[in-house]
Amino acid sequence: MGTVQLSNVRKFYGALEVIKGIDLTVEAGELVVFVGPSGCGKSTLLRMIAGLEDVDYGRVEIAGKDVTDAPPAQRGVAMVFQNYALYPHMTAYDNLAYGLRRAGLRRDAVDQRVQETAALLQISELLPRKPKAMSGGQRQRVAIGRAIVRKPEVFLFDEPLSNLDAALRVEMRSQIARLHQELAATMIFVTHDQVEAMTLADRIVVLNAGRVEQIGTPREVYHSPANLFVAGFIGSPAMNLLPATLGPSGVALVSGHVLGGQKGEGEAVTLGVRPDRLTLTSAESAHLSGEAKLIEHLGDETILHLRLADGGALTMKLHGDILLKIGARVHARIDLAGACLFGANGRALRLEGAHETKA
Amino acid sequence: MSKQRKPSAGARIGMLTYHALMLAISAVFLLPFYWMTISAFKTNAEIFSDPVTWLPDPIRWENMTSLLTREDFPFVQQFVNSVFYAGTVAVLVCLSCSLAAYSFGCLRWRGRNLVFGLTVCALLMPTIVTFLPIYLAWSKIGLTGTYWPLITPFLFGDAFFIFMLRQFFMGVPRELLDAARLDGASEFRIWWQIVMPQVRTPLIIVGLFATVYTWNEFFLPLIYLQDRQAFPLSLGLFTFQSQRAVEWSVSMMGALLTALPMVALFLFTQRLFQRGLSSIGLK
Repeated sequence: MGTVQLSNVRKFYGALEVIKGIDLTVEAGELVVFVGPSGCGKSTLLRMIAGLEDVDYGRVEIAGKDVTDAPPAQRGVAMVFQNYALYPHMTAYDNLAYGLRRAGLRRDAVDQRVQETAALLQISELLPRKPKAMSGGQRQRVAIGRAIVRKPEVFLFDEPLSNLDAALRVEMRSQIARLHQELAATMIFVTHDQVEAMTLADRIVVLNAGRVEQIGTPREVYHSPANLFVAGFIGSPAMNLLPATLGPSGVALVSGHVLGGQKGEGEAVTLGVRPDRLTLTSAESAHLSGEAKLIEHLGDETILHLRLADGGALTMKLHGDILLKIGARVHARIDLAGACLFGANGRALRLEGAHETKA
Repeated sequence: MSKQRKPSAGARIGMLTYHALMLAISAVFLLPFYWMTISAFKTNAEIFSDPVTWLPDPIRWENMTSLLTREDFPFVQQFVNSVFYAGTVAVLVCLSCSLAAYSFGCLRWRGRNLVFGLTVCALLMPTIVTFLPIYLAWSKIGLTGTYWPLITPFLFGDAFFIFMLRQFFMGVPRELLDAARLDGASEFRIWWQIVMPQVRTPLIIVGLFATVYTWNEFFLPLIYLQDRQAFPLSLGLFTFQSQRAVEWSVSMMGALLTALPMVALFLFTQRLFQRGLSSIGLK
């Protein structure tokens, strides 16, 4: 399995720069997930690695070879598409065999590889069928088979689970995780689904407007977001971003409550608090108080959306089924140990006293 | 079960008027065809008899024998010529236009839209404007009197059919082409093995349109062909009529047998024709 190295990769559509100088190394056997909002360039970047989009500047190396100008088939990559992209007029067998035949393999070698792959993915009984005679999940398994059968250096997945229903998505997700372990394959996976990103990735690359905002393990990007964008993007519900200042006694909220921690001389900062780091408390010990505007009962947990006195919004994620009514006065206390601090430029500051509760 | 509501008297009168009008218009279009059909089975005298007879009595099958055996109108040979001409053009149009449509609809290249615009502009150029220089060119290479000048241009596509096919090619999912590229297929192979099977119906539609168009083509065979044995039916029939104006019954039989293959083709493929027309906004 090969490494993927991107060096200052840039892409223009006319005068518009959509990929703005990306440097990234994906180690052999690693599963890296690209996440980001729509139009951030994650699929374009994947297609540039595949050779389906030209690289205007910079260099792409796969398994140590410069493939910047190489055609897709000579890069040692295989790709799984969102809409499966199976050849509709061919059987599953022919779909799997097509690339091998193009590579000039003999008929018996093609047959052996197809049968082996089908057995691995448990799709042997689908081989004589055409795509229209398969369900969405079966089609995606065949599409993954088409990628595996070529034994590529790198697997590329372009939102492969987006068209599946929730139950199938979970099943296919675990199947991809299993394949990653069994094949020890280098994989790059594009998704906008954070659960997929958090559960599958060895490392997550957060992209925004053609730039890398942060590269890190799922725990790093969740607990230590590099900037306000990552803080707001990763996690559902999103992190609460509260305006604050650094005073002589520590972080002070707009409401006047001083939380302690990092001291300063009145610098404006943003305090990031995950919704699950807020707890219900009494009015006396509260850091923040607000009115319940929306209550989501998820069974084992409750999501509370509050409007604060200063007009700001606050989201709380509470264990258990909390019985509250819309309009109720709610008092919240911040667990500073799980909070993040961002400077005026939006970049993360080291928050003293934070993160020590991470297990 | 809900009761079906009876249409009001006004609505019924409206429907009746509509259908009566449609029948009248259809009759106007069908009358010449009917006249041709019955005349094909009459003698000359019966065709011009007064009062008009609307059914041939007796049916004169000998007109058909006369048509198929006479030497001054090699009908069978000209029928074969027409089949060859229309069939070859249909196949060439499907191949060349689909290649161009693949390039315009599925590939990205600099200047694509400009070239496509120029191609569509060719639709605005009447044949009568360009035929003389093209004729002179063919004449210089000494190929007038053969089917080369009639068929060869279709090797390079036809603006109308390229325009029509491009719409369908644009509907082929881009990921399908990308998957084939990753599988190591060349663009030519992607066109032939991946895209062409997806646009089979539009290709048949284009083939049908090209067949009908060529079957009825008159002007180009007229200027390029001189030998009666080489004529397609459209030209052969005209020549026969102009030289044997008095033999209306045999002429009508010739016209009937010339029209029948296209009528049969239309009847069997009516839906495809309708789809083809609606796809290019002509319906």
